[in-house]
Amino acid sequence: MSGFGKEFTKGLWREIPPFRLVLGLCPTLAVTKAADNGLGMGLAVIFVLVLSNMAISAIRNLIPNKVRIACFIVVAASLVVMVELIMQAYAYPLYQKLGIFVPLIVVNCIILGRAEAFAARNGVIDSMADGLGIGLGYTVSLTFLGGLRETFGAGTLFGQAVMPAGYQPLGFMVEAPGAFICLGLLLGLMNLVSRLQGRKSPASVSELPAQCRACGSCYRS
Amino acid sequence: MSGPLFTVSAPPHWHSGRLSRQIFWESILALSPVLVMAVIGYGLPAVRVLALAGAAAVVVEAVCERLQGRELDVDNGHALLTGLVFACLLPAAAPWWLVLVGVGVAIGVGKHVFGGLGTSPVVPALLGYAVCQISWPGLLRYDFVQLDSLFSWPLADLKYYGRAAAEAHGYADLLLGRQLGGLGACQAGAALAGGLFLVARGIVPWRIPVFFLAGLAASAFAYQLAYPDLAADPLFHLLAGSTLFAAFFLAPEMACAPAGRAAMAGYGLLAGVLVMIIRAYGVWPEGTTFAILLANLTTPLWDRIRPRAFGKGRA
Repeated sequence: MSGFGKEFTKGLWREIPPFRLVLGLCPTLAVTKAADNGLGMGLAVIFVLVLSNMAISAIRNLIPNKVRIACFIVVAASLVVMVELIMQAYAYPLYQKLGIFVPLIVVNCIILGRAEAFAARNGVIDSMADGLGIGLGYTVSLTFLGGLRETFGAGTLFGQAVMPAGYQPLGFMVEAPGAFICLGLLLGLMNLVSRLQGRKSPASVSELPAQCRACGSCYRS
Repeated sequence: MSGPLFTVSAPPHWHSGRLSRQIFWESILALSPVLVMAVIGYGLPAVRVLALAGAAAVVVEAVCERLQGRELDVDNGHALLTGLVFACLLPAAAPWWLVLVGVGVAIGVGKHVFGGLGTSPVVPALLGYAVCQISWPGLLRYDFVQLDSLFSWPLADLKYYGRAAAEAHGYADLLLGRQLGGLGACQAGAALAGGLFLVARGIVPWRIPVFFLAGLAASAFAYQLAYPDLAADPLFHLLAGSTLFAAFFLAPEMACAPAGRAAMAGYGLLAGVLVMIIRAYGVWPEGTTFAILLANLTTPLWDRIRPRAFGKGRA
């Protein structure tokens, strides 16, 4: 069971997808104009990721190595079509807002990345834990980023006004360049937090890239 | 025999005597005619915006450097210059929080995120201005927020009321800053005077402003040939709005403009043509800000045009 917990929790901070693995950035940047869009997208990815990880892990010994990518895509595509139809039936406004990014979950790097890196080598239970953890991390990241952008860019959070009256929304944040800047600042913040937590310097200077050796401002101090 | 045979001090071995501090303070000196004309033209509100932006820029720079554990170098004047240039683009009626947000973005995101002085890919002041312009377009419309002025915004006149309204502005009036616009950016004559000082001092390479203005004038002329009853003449485009200010104080920003001779010419031409394209086809009457931001992004490409190495034979 400790294996299950370990695989589950790694997706929440240590390998949190958009910020640590820097995977799945296309929807991260595109659909996070509002917190509920981010949440909806994240839930769709959890559904696809958990089921595709389980399915691929279950048939991993049957898939010929040479055509494995095609097999992964077929599995993911079937699941995405299911999500799409469910969304059209029960959450049509959300489906309209997410638009093309729902079918594009098929080619989301996270789905393929976890299939290739984890599910194709591990058992069904572990793969499920991995998919659940990574998917949850992705959802949390997207909701957080969407909430941040919505709060500053529109003055609302999940559609409710949160900023004081008279706040002039920073409309830049809900535009495309705001997504890049916001994501960049969050990545920097995560690195800062990790560094404050760990505070460990690299084992030796020779491991650093050449242009870093001369400067060293990031690990001395 | 003891001791080293041959000792060499750390480079640079031969210093030209130019200091970044001197460059930026001279740029501020060159900006002073613009500031004086702005204060004469817009009075106390202009002083308010300029002082707030300048002070905020220095404070934000100091805070950023302290957070990074760097040596404070606000005395080199670059932060103050950036703050003042940013303020020059704003209407004199800009609210205080807009000034603070713009300066924070300009210095924090435009300069320090990329590593401080000399590393910014786009002109920091323009980045701050662009963020404000996208976020609060109404508050940066000079003709919406500056209602108690005797003047009108020539570029908006051209866009909404046609060529005749634009040509009602005399060239002398435009040159003397008797037009509505950014509080310093519309002081065309003062910007020209300061810019010529910068060129004479060798701080601004002459190619960038000259080719910027040439590109704008040539494309304005072409547009006039194509649409004789819609377009204003090239001289109007050179004097109206922030053209001259942009040519001397924005486009040649050292960190963001290319360095080679041909590269500077191409960069200036591109920015000038983009200004005219945005003015003619864009939704916003003024085009200098986004034109220069876009041209900044092409700088790494222009820098691939390498000068011939010293000593290599002429082919």
